[in-house]
Amino acid sequence: MTDQQPRDIDCGEALDRLYEYIDKELTPVRSEEVRIHLEQCAPCLAITNFEDSYVRFLEARTRVQGAPEALKKRILQQLLFETGEHQAR
Amino acid sequence: MATEADRRRFEEEALPHLDTVYRVALRLSGNETQAEDLTQETMLKAFRSWHQYRPGTNVRAWLLTILRHTFINEYRKAKRAATEVDVTHLEPFTVFHHVQDADPEGTFFNQLVDEDVLKAIDRLPDEFRETLVLSDVEGLPYAEIAKITEVPVGTVKSRLFRARQALQKELHDYAVEMGYIKGRKEGDA
Repeated sequence: MTDQQPRDIDCGEALDRLYEYIDKELTPVRSEEVRIHLEQCAPCLAITNFEDSYVRFLEARTRVQGAPEALKKRILQQLLFETGEHQAR
Repeated sequence: MATEADRRRFEEEALPHLDTVYRVALRLSGNETQAEDLTQETMLKAFRSWHQYRPGTNVRAWLLTILRHTFINEYRKAKRAATEVDVTHLEPFTVFHHVQDADPEGTFFNQLVDEDVLKAIDRLPDEFRETLVLSDVEGLPYAEIAKITEVPVGTVKSRLFRARQALQKELHDYAVEMGYIKGRKEGDA
């Protein structure tokens, strides 16, 4: 089976691939098929835009917190213990 | 015993992923104290088996795999108290269909504070939560999530779909309850 040429897909297929399209997980041809469908289908485009802004929203709201400084220090200390380097300090 | 050179290399290659390990630990365990313990244990185990890590392979996936095993074996027993979000009875794109006339761009999401979002994520069932966290909190590709969670890529796709849809519905219902958006919750007459 060849994967070279984009073919027409229906709304069902476009929506099945919606998150893979948003997440850039599709092959170029599969992605192009979705893009072409969305160009011609306002309802699917509206859903895709909605879901895309939802996923961006999740990313923006959840990536903020990092490891506490005290934890980083504890881990660095522990590594020195593991190698015996702490004795030299 | 590990040498100073091992430690330096570990600090250069593994430690930059500490924030990722901690964030995933936090969402898996559901509280900060456990997340710190879990992170520390993961990094220590990783350092002790640093000789098993093959240079040039994905160190982030390797660390997250150790984290996940540590969590499952030692921490999951302490059952999380929160009631779980239903991921089985889902009608795809329900929220969009509810809000498409009033708020087609979903601006109501922006009224929610970070804490609301994180609390809702914490109420997803384990396997759905871990998939969503690896994807949306950490931005990992499906193949890497599949490797870490030890399931086929197809399972990652379907879990991610359900997790995102269930979470979206949860956030929407909460926004309705708080009066951020006019609407009705599923099941209302």
